[in-house]
Amino acid sequence: MKGLVLILSVLLTLVFGCSKQNNFDEREINLVSPEKISGFDPINASDKYSGNEAGKVYEGLFEFHPLKRPYELMPNLAASMPEASKDGLTYTFKILKGVLFHDSPAFKDGIGREMKIDDVIYSYKRLADPKLSAKGWWVLDDKIVGLNEWREKYSQAEATNYEEAIEGLKKIDDYTLQIKLKKPYPQFLYALAMPYTFIVAKEAVEHFGKEFLNYPVGTGPFVLPKFDQSSMIVYTRNPKFRTKYYPSEGEEGDDKLGLLADAGKKIPLVDKINVYIIVESQPKWLSFMKAKNDLIEIKDVNIQQTLTPENELRPEHKEKGMRLFMLPMLDVAYFAFNHENPIFKNLKLRQAMNLAYDRDGANKLFHENTAFIAHGPVPPGLAGNRKEFKNPYSKLDLEQAKKLLAEAGYPNGKGLPEITIQTRNETVARQQIEFFAKCMDKIGIKINVGMNTWPELVNKVTKKQHQMYTMAWGADYPDAENFLGLLYCPNQSPGSNGANYCNPEFDALYSKATILQDSPERTAMYEKLNEMAALDVPWIYGFNRTDIYLTQAWLKNYKVMEFNHNQFQYLNVDLEVKKQLSKKF
Amino acid sequence: MIKYIVRRLLYLIPVLLGVSFIIFVLFNLVSGDPTAVLLGKNATARQMAELREQLGLNKPLLDQYFDVVKSAFTFDFGRSWATKQEISQMIIQGAYPSLTLTVPAFVFATILSLIISLVVAFYRGKGIDLFVRFMCIAGVSVSALAYILFFQYFFAYQLGWFEISGFEYGFPDFVPFIALPAIIFVLLSLGPDVRFFRTVILDEIYQDYVRTARAKGLSEVVILLKHVLRNALIPIITYVVIQIPTLILGALLLENFFSIPGLGGITLNALNSSDFPVIKAMAILSSVLYIILSLVTDVLYTFADPRVKLK
Amino acid sequence: MKENSLWKDAFKRLIQDKMALASLVVVVIYSLIAVLAATGLIASDWAKEVGASNLPPSAEHWFGTDIFGRDVLAKVLHGTQIAMSVGLFTSLIAIPIGVILGALAGYFGGWVDDFITWLYTTFSSIPNIMLLISITMILGKGLFAVYIALGATSWVTLCRLIRGEVMKHKEREYVQAAGAIGGGHFRKLFLHILPNVTHIVIINTSLQFQFAIKSEVILSYLGLGVQGEPSWGTMIDDAKLELARGVWWQLVGATAAMFLVVLAFNLLGDALRDSLDPKLKGK
Repeated sequence: MKGLVLILSVLLTLVFGCSKQNNFDEREINLVSPEKISGFDPINASDKYSGNEAGKVYEGLFEFHPLKRPYELMPNLAASMPEASKDGLTYTFKILKGVLFHDSPAFKDGIGREMKIDDVIYSYKRLADPKLSAKGWWVLDDKIVGLNEWREKYSQAEATNYEEAIEGLKKIDDYTLQIKLKKPYPQFLYALAMPYTFIVAKEAVEHFGKEFLNYPVGTGPFVLPKFDQSSMIVYTRNPKFRTKYYPSEGEEGDDKLGLLADAGKKIPLVDKINVYIIVESQPKWLSFMKAKNDLIEIKDVNIQQTLTPENELRPEHKEKGMRLFMLPMLDVAYFAFNHENPIFKNLKLRQAMNLAYDRDGANKLFHENTAFIAHGPVPPGLAGNRKEFKNPYSKLDLEQAKKLLAEAGYPNGKGLPEITIQTRNETVARQQIEFFAKCMDKIGIKINVGMNTWPELVNKVTKKQHQMYTMAWGADYPDAENFLGLLYCPNQSPGSNGANYCNPEFDALYSKATILQDSPERTAMYEKLNEMAALDVPWIYGFNRTDIYLTQAWLKNYKVMEFNHNQFQYLNVDLEVKKQLSKKF
Repeated sequence: MIKYIVRRLLYLIPVLLGVSFIIFVLFNLVSGDPTAVLLGKNATARQMAELREQLGLNKPLLDQYFDVVKSAFTFDFGRSWATKQEISQMIIQGAYPSLTLTVPAFVFATILSLIISLVVAFYRGKGIDLFVRFMCIAGVSVSALAYILFFQYFFAYQLGWFEISGFEYGFPDFVPFIALPAIIFVLLSLGPDVRFFRTVILDEIYQDYVRTARAKGLSEVVILLKHVLRNALIPIITYVVIQIPTLILGALLLENFFSIPGLGGITLNALNSSDFPVIKAMAILSSVLYIILSLVTDVLYTFADPRVKLK
Repeated sequence: MKENSLWKDAFKRLIQDKMALASLVVVVIYSLIAVLAATGLIASDWAKEVGASNLPPSAEHWFGTDIFGRDVLAKVLHGTQIAMSVGLFTSLIAIPIGVILGALAGYFGGWVDDFITWLYTTFSSIPNIMLLISITMILGKGLFAVYIALGATSWVTLCRLIRGEVMKHKEREYVQAAGAIGGGHFRKLFLHILPNVTHIVIINTSLQFQFAIKSEVILSYLGLGVQGEPSWGTMIDDAKLELARGVWWQLVGATAAMFLVVLAFNLLGDALRDSLDPKLKGK
């Protein structure tokens, strides 16, 4: 018994004695990833969170300006913005000289060598390598002259031959590349800012082989010698990072917010980044409240804990110096009909269901009124969304809904089969459909919830086995094409048009608009497409949600950014403030 | 004895065949095409077809089943479809946090339950017996989810006694991280453990040899610790050892809420992304463990009770 | 009749045990609530909006309201029906499979035993969670899938117990005697042996109930549980998002309801074993 007491007391001292204290000496920032990171191969960094991690070690030719809005591209590894030929088919890129890869055993003597144009070509070819089945292939698929043929040629072969030159990817000299496009691709430069097209070193890919995904060797501001699937990823500053400065101009008002205080300083501004993997929302929130993290994305339930009913930061958080950031997201959440189902060919039924959906109620319950009602597929903030345009069906009007439902041939829902809406097996997703079902019940339509694991949901949609499903689409790049494509007939399942919506008039205009460079003409066409799709209600339009972030007072230079994988090098930490405020936690 | 062990190990063959068959049927035949999930939201039909070919999903079913069986016996699981990580590495990396949580908690829970059971057996029928049993059962009648939500909020956040979530490698660094989930684990184990141990001990207490010992004038405590416990050990060992395979998979809920990067989370992720090779590996691993551990139990019997002969 | 007095005796002892009696009463009350809810006599209006969303408990709404302004008490009562039906139907699935396979294996031995032992070893060596998820994937979601998934994974324990018990009884004199006077296998097994192992089934059922009720919560957490109607599992799952914003009544309501009945089943199981298990006789 004595021994037991002894063991117990030792255990207790261990437990209570070594709860970790916050660090006030090291210039480090603490971040959270709400999803597990599976690896660091850029060609597979398809979701926001793996892109964020890859973006700390790898870089692409271009990046989005961290401060300027609307989003603007600027050169990153490229020396300047490219020259395009008049027909928009040939681009000439110049890259920076003297950019070094991270030190790695893959290189001779373990010292990182200079990045050259061959690396760029190699990295783009990798995206097309049929043996790798990259998630990012779609950004170059059918775009560059000769690339698809190259992919085709090696799809049956034993190994892919990277030596073989491709007409569309032409090396002019060690620092100059000429890319020839098959057809106009106005979103091309955006693609070169996405994680998929980050530059990797051939030696590293070959040295680490299949383990390459755990040994990121990039040119980026931070280094990670080896990635372990653990609860934390620790990056340290890249000592050989090239000279790169914090931007000296931004959006109007950035000056006042202190976002230009570090203008002209060498980046990165911190020595270390810790990323904690926390999946569940309760521990994520509690950790932030204990000042274990510096930045948290506020979702669903935590909104109410963050905001007052007037959508301001609650006083108890203000008192701790926390700061609130809100920005409308480039996304659209919707309920899609499966248009292959004859029921939903009925326009009046679709209109009636749109009119019966109480968006204000849902906004209050699930978004604390921080979301905006969507009036069409293109979210506000993108060319193609006209502010004045209001969708007559994106409002609640039960009388009209009942009338339309009767005209559709289903008076009070009579004769209409029960409709199952498929969604993910998550609590909030379930509640949202339960709410939707309540709304539809008011006009006599019976809705069931179909909960699915992610593979099941994807399978049902790609196999067209659904009646309706819910979806939220986030922008891959700031171009309305990315949203309008969700309704383009050739994109139907298994493509991104899971609604299997087909409208020849829409398709014709879409194919014309999407090959134009950004111009007033194109914007007008996008607007027309958006409104055409809005009035035909191929979906039940839901919301354009708002990004809400909370930061600790000591995190500097933060600004909400949709495409934020390059953002972390610009962040700074104020250790004095951290020390002072820590007493309040 | 050796003959017996070999025979029991050979029993692994039909069981592994059965396990691979069930897993193959459930996940390969019925659960549909994984390629859409694996390729992400912008996948093209063309690319999906290519990937299906690469993953060997176009091969005849019998060949596919044979591949499953092969990996079950060679333990070569290849790479995960979803994360492209080497599965053996994933298992090794995930087993450490899982086991650092479950093994100490399991050992502690077993010892504590045994002590409690002996005490309540000693005081059987008295108030303390009723009270302790009631508390143990009450403890396990609350949902694990409710414990987690409340304890994390109260003990880790409000009182700050423990880390809220996360994990660190190496002793004693991991202690503040696993302490709270381990306590919950113990709370949830006490109920069933004490109930089982107590019954087993009471079974023995009414045997003739106990009466004889008592007649010889041995004290009740000595009888309990020396004779009863020794004889009750066989069913206790069986009960304990058979639970060990479940420890490997970790405690799924605990791992998720306390951000412990263990095998439970890996399994759940695999199930949520149609990652068939990982599912297969986890199923095979746990069934092999199951068989080996039940063999270990049988062998332990012979030590606990020399009367038992293995044949 | 000897049989008769054994059961009477057991029942008498059960009644004398106050805790067991109280548990029995709780179980009966829950069953009653479940029946009443199933027939629509109570809690049929759980879906109705009765007030603002997330109202704390008051005299009017004892357990407060949920996010949609529905009465949490009505949801708890409706959840009782779900919980009890999950317990009942999984038992109805698991018991016949477990008893028949266990009895066949124990009685016939030989290759029958080998096959059945192989079957349950295989089943029990696959992690439960995989079977649960894959079965709900195949059957689609909902209450029916929950019954089948839980039933299909919980027959193993019972099967193993029955097999052992039947093996023991097979060698006893009364079975041998029944064989001597010309009883067939069927007669011996079902008329003579099975009645003598019923106590295992009863004890197991009471534990099966509480296991099923608790598993429903885990399944709901994984999004594989009941859909479109409230269960304790979905209520506790909701609570994981609500607790941090101070909405504790849904968690407490569902947890308390569950606590009471699980506790009752556990205590009842213990008491049943104490009074039915012949090994513990004569204490």
